[in-house]
Amino acid sequence: MPASSLFTASAEALINKVIALDEDSEKRLALLNGKRLTVFLDGFPWGVTLAFSSKVDILLEHHPYEDVSVHVDENTCYIKTHFDVLPRLTQTSQITQLIREGKLHLQGEPGIAQQVAALFQQLDIDWEEQLSTYTGDVPAHQIFSSASAVKAQVLAFSERLTRGLSNAITEEKDIAVGKLAVMHFNDEVDALRDDAQRFEARLRLLENSL
Amino acid sequence: MSDTDSREQASQRTPNASTEQTDFGFQQVEKSQKASLVANVFDSVAAKYDVMNDLMSFGVHRLWKRYTIDCAGVRAGHKVLDIAGGTGDLTAKFSRLVGPTGSVTLADINLSMLKVGRDKLRDQGLVNNIDYVQADAEALPFPDNSFDVVTMAFGLRNVTEKQNALNSIYRVLKPGGRLLVLEFSKPASEHLSKIYDMYSFHILPRMGQVVANDADSYRYLAESIRMHPDQETLKGMFESAGFEQCDYTNLTGGIVALHRGYKF
Repeated sequence: MPASSLFTASAEALINKVIALDEDSEKRLALLNGKRLTVFLDGFPWGVTLAFSSKVDILLEHHPYEDVSVHVDENTCYIKTHFDVLPRLTQTSQITQLIREGKLHLQGEPGIAQQVAALFQQLDIDWEEQLSTYTGDVPAHQIFSSASAVKAQVLAFSERLTRGLSNAITEEKDIAVGKLAVMHFNDEVDALRDDAQRFEARLRLLENSL
Repeated sequence: MSDTDSREQASQRTPNASTEQTDFGFQQVEKSQKASLVANVFDSVAAKYDVMNDLMSFGVHRLWKRYTIDCAGVRAGHKVLDIAGGTGDLTAKFSRLVGPTGSVTLADINLSMLKVGRDKLRDQGLVNNIDYVQADAEALPFPDNSFDVVTMAFGLRNVTEKQNALNSIYRVLKPGGRLLVLEFSKPASEHLSKIYDMYSFHILPRMGQVVANDADSYRYLAESIRMHPDQETLKGMFESAGFEQCDYTNLTGGIVALHRGYKF
């Protein structure tokens, strides 16, 4: 037990700290005041409830989704899904399809889930500003400028490395085929499959006519 | 079983019910004295209560309380009674969970603790849905069937007649309501028990002396834990009071147990 409580306590402290770093998040949090989102993920023994007020409280739900989702009202949303489906929930157009496919079970007000997603997705934290409160403006600016330069160099190096490796294995060493060759091969396979299907259909017609 | 039957049965099972003596730590004292002796202890420790709790339990008391809140099933609009709520750890969270349509009553027999709790909660901006009541758990000053959830964290062992307190809580709970009692209990393992004894009788009073300048109060704490009923006995007392579907969960190897019972 204390391990799970330690997890929720840490997550709660972290979430509230991060939200407090963005002044605009207060308005989005106010929209969620009094609302709850409970998420059950397949493979996890407990559900997790986010209860919204002036801050976010995290509770563990020890009862299964089927038991707790009966307490549904306009201020609650219960979700049961797979971990890898979570990112798709931000796209409203996909929700109906996910429910039809049985990948998402939803009870209550789905708008709450979207408001929660917005609360976190729209976080805009000026990390340089945050750092400057501890280090002062000049060191914070230098640290972030250096970090940006390093990041750009790493990205450029990574791109050069990828291109070099790609050339080496496709052109020089001839270990793998090039992108165009793969596309051509795929097209040939598609054409062969279409031919086979046509041939099968023709055979079936002939069989029926005999 | 009716309320009256439950209470009569409960009083028959209460240890020391037929005598005028009761335990105060390892001492036997007059029943009429215990409340004032306990009050002295908490008057003495109130100011340093939170600091000492963190030190003594290495912060784990916060996780035990968090687990209690998880199990409480509190929802918006609920009426919650936090008995022996002390410095308001549970009340603060309940206040946010019940929202403006619900209410939380923080009850404590000790005025010093109640004042510390009230100041702490007000400093956190929690003012709208919390009532503060100085109340004896054995005779709760609330109408029958008033609360959806009642919690008592680390308070029951200080009550003179524990069964009377459980009976009183049963009375004020609404049908369908639940009681959660978080309290020190008996460690499940012999080895843990020995380590725990050494810690509580040798280290704890010294910590109390250093931090709160009060070794006696923390010696009482260790003694009162040993005198508190074990898990199964307390569960039986819940059932005697009329609670149903009673169970308990050992936390940290049984050093603490969360007992739960429902009124139907």
